[in-house]
Amino acid sequence: MSIIYILIPIAILFVIIAIGVFFWAVRGEQFSDLNKQGHSILFEDDKEQHNKSND
Amino acid sequence: MANNCFHCLESVPSGFSATVEIDGSPQSMCCIGCQTVAETIVAQGMTDYYKFRTVRAGKVEQLVPEQLAFITSYDNPDIQEEFISQNNDVSEVLLTVEGITCAACAWLIEKQLLNMPAVKRVDVNTSTNRAMIQWHKDALPLSEIIKSLLEIGYKAYPFQADIEASQKQLVAKAYIRRLGVAGLMTMQVMMFAFAMYFGMFSGMEDDFEQYFRWISLILASPVILYSALPFLTNAINGLKAKQLNMDLPVSLAIFGAYAASGYATVMEVGEVYFESICMFTFLLLLGKYLEFRARLKASEFTANLQKLLPLTARTLDENGHERIIAAKKLKLDDRVLVKAGETIPADGIVCAGTTTVDESMMTGEHLPVNKYIEHQVFAGTVNHDGVIEIRINKLGQNTLLNQIIKLQHSALATRPKLVEVTDKVAQWFVACLLVFASLTAIGWYQIDPEHAFWITIAVLVATCPCALSLAIPTALTCAVATLTRKGVLIKQAHVLETLPQLTRIAFDKTGTLTQGRFSFEKIDIIDSQYQKEHILSLAAQLESYSEHPIASAFNEFTPHLRDLTNITIVPGEGITGEDEQRHYAIGKSGWFNTPKSNAQATFYVDHQPVAHFYLIDEVKPNAQGLIATLQQQNLTCHMLTGDASSAGQKIAEKLNLNSYKSGCLPQDKQTEVEKWSAQGDVVAMVGDGVNDSPVFNSAHLSIAMETGADISKNTADVVLLNSDLSAVSHLMTVSKKTRRIIKQNLAISLIYNGSILPLAALGLVAPWMAVIGMSASSIIVISNSLRLLKL
Repeated sequence: MSIIYILIPIAILFVIIAIGVFFWAVRGEQFSDLNKQGHSILFEDDKEQHNKSND
Repeated sequence: MANNCFHCLESVPSGFSATVEIDGSPQSMCCIGCQTVAETIVAQGMTDYYKFRTVRAGKVEQLVPEQLAFITSYDNPDIQEEFISQNNDVSEVLLTVEGITCAACAWLIEKQLLNMPAVKRVDVNTSTNRAMIQWHKDALPLSEIIKSLLEIGYKAYPFQADIEASQKQLVAKAYIRRLGVAGLMTMQVMMFAFAMYFGMFSGMEDDFEQYFRWISLILASPVILYSALPFLTNAINGLKAKQLNMDLPVSLAIFGAYAASGYATVMEVGEVYFESICMFTFLLLLGKYLEFRARLKASEFTANLQKLLPLTARTLDENGHERIIAAKKLKLDDRVLVKAGETIPADGIVCAGTTTVDESMMTGEHLPVNKYIEHQVFAGTVNHDGVIEIRINKLGQNTLLNQIIKLQHSALATRPKLVEVTDKVAQWFVACLLVFASLTAIGWYQIDPEHAFWITIAVLVATCPCALSLAIPTALTCAVATLTRKGVLIKQAHVLETLPQLTRIAFDKTGTLTQGRFSFEKIDIIDSQYQKEHILSLAAQLESYSEHPIASAFNEFTPHLRDLTNITIVPGEGITGEDEQRHYAIGKSGWFNTPKSNAQATFYVDHQPVAHFYLIDEVKPNAQGLIATLQQQNLTCHMLTGDASSAGQKIAEKLNLNSYKSGCLPQDKQTEVEKWSAQGDVVAMVGDGVNDSPVFNSAHLSIAMETGADISKNTADVVLLNSDLSAVSHLMTVSKKTRRIIKQNLAISLIYNGSILPLAALGLVAPWMAVIGMSASSIIVISNSLRLLKL
């Protein structure tokens, strides 16, 4: 059971990383508009290239 | 669907046919504007927009070359320094974009702009309708960016961020960070707390328990010392102002329990309560954040109001040469040219030309005012149809617009405020709590000095006013969420407490009780050789060139597209046009020296009147019902209108209002409301114009319409997002229900705290009982509040 003396600090490290990523995301305006980010996955970014190569 | 435009979903007028091939199938379009935009979207390979949009696009307006030329004035470096920030060779600008309706728009705009190589980064915010653009200014002028947005159907203006708005953004970000830390850490602390709960029953090695306590202490520290800090600063600020506010017991509970638990961990005695205080902090913070967001959203609408005053002005030098300069650089006695459709940049006297001016943003009245030489015009009002030259006589802070804004600020300082229930309860509760805790400490110190400290802490923890502090905020948060869903935006927390106490409610007329736009009351055909439909369609076609508010009444009649040529707008008179055989005109009655009637518009063929149009500003369909409902609830209903005509009396009679006052200046409305509140009435004001904003601050409660002026929305406590009057009665229902739930919550929490207090003081409460009691009372209170979500 003494393994938890090591595992828990590692888990805490992950939480600290998560908070770091969260702060970074807040600074990058990712939370200023929750509506847009949710939809962004629906749009195809490469569609334009298809069209251009067809021209 | 076949007859609707694929782009804007409006019906396609008969006689117009155009199609655009989208994803392989031809789709019909309603106008050239929509057609061009749809073609651009297809050509750029952005048809995904149509697939994923959730809200229809607005109808596209064709721009006249004049307006296009005006856009290039944004490239003037003098003007640019106001809104462009430079970072090395990358420039950054914030644009307010009209017509952003959903996430698909944001994608479309970003895609369109990033196609241009000089554009480095685009970030569109769909909730504020703004786009941040970083690009190389030397490679691409700003006007090109604005024009490329026009190509896909969005009008954009440079946005000048004010300091207040950017500070609010910083506060919003700080809230999100605090919430994130509290949320993530609370999860971890809860995990260890559960391990310790089980350890309490099944036994746990002391080493492990002590280790878990230390871990919990470390994890809880950021929540308490970072996330919960605003509560402490608020409490201290309150104390400095000699007030005991609700943040005081909250911070007392959080920091007291944290200190006690920390002490317990270090000294290896007593109990720890890290999980309770973490969760408590998280929930309270969430409530505060939601309330802040509602206010932020409202102020974001209004920050876009910089558009009220134009950034640029056309000045004329001695030789009559026209030059475009930044509006801020105007000086007194400058001569300024204002063309049709432009906004007047500063107060001035007309020195050449005649026109009609739309002063609705000042007065709330939509009928344009005729202006001739020597007449005063005001900054922020819109020049309708003529070209005028004005001599500036008031600038900046002295303009009428800024005077109104000043009036509004001074009213804010003297605003009547009802003492809030929250504060009353808090004052009383905190005082009792502190007295009781000190009595316990002193008492036990006499009897058993060793246990005195722990029992005092137990009293503080057991009476931790979690449930009490949650009682009001959770109910308010739920009520605000329900109302937002119904299109009612609550900006101030006191609204729901003030509403049930109202005794009087005053309405503005135009745009509030009435539609604020004209519709036909009656059409008189004088010359019977013309068909009504024929006249209407010709009139509609002429009026489609006009921006006069009356013209919008003709929109519902689709113009028969025939070739009218030589269309001219005659300022202050009307609009004329001709085909091969005849001369047509529509305008005020009595034009061309014909006999006058009291019709609002007359149609002429070859200078002879053939039809009179009688228009009225119709009362909103649900206004009558609302007034009746409010009067049933013993509210006195009034109307205060700036309109001096007899229309006010007619409406007051029709709606059966208790009283009305017409021809009111903003100050008159204010004195009226102040008179009532001096009599001890609690007054609400419902309105929409700039002229209502001062009175908004004199009333106990102010409600603005979404269609109203931005300034009034900024001042108001409540904004009705769909401008639907029936929302007012809904607001009353929700506020009454909220009041009831708050009372129940307060009763529950006071009963819990009151009954546990003597037990804790006598040293009879075991720590686990305190924890269960605390959580249970909080959960009951929260669940009770959640009932408000179902309204």
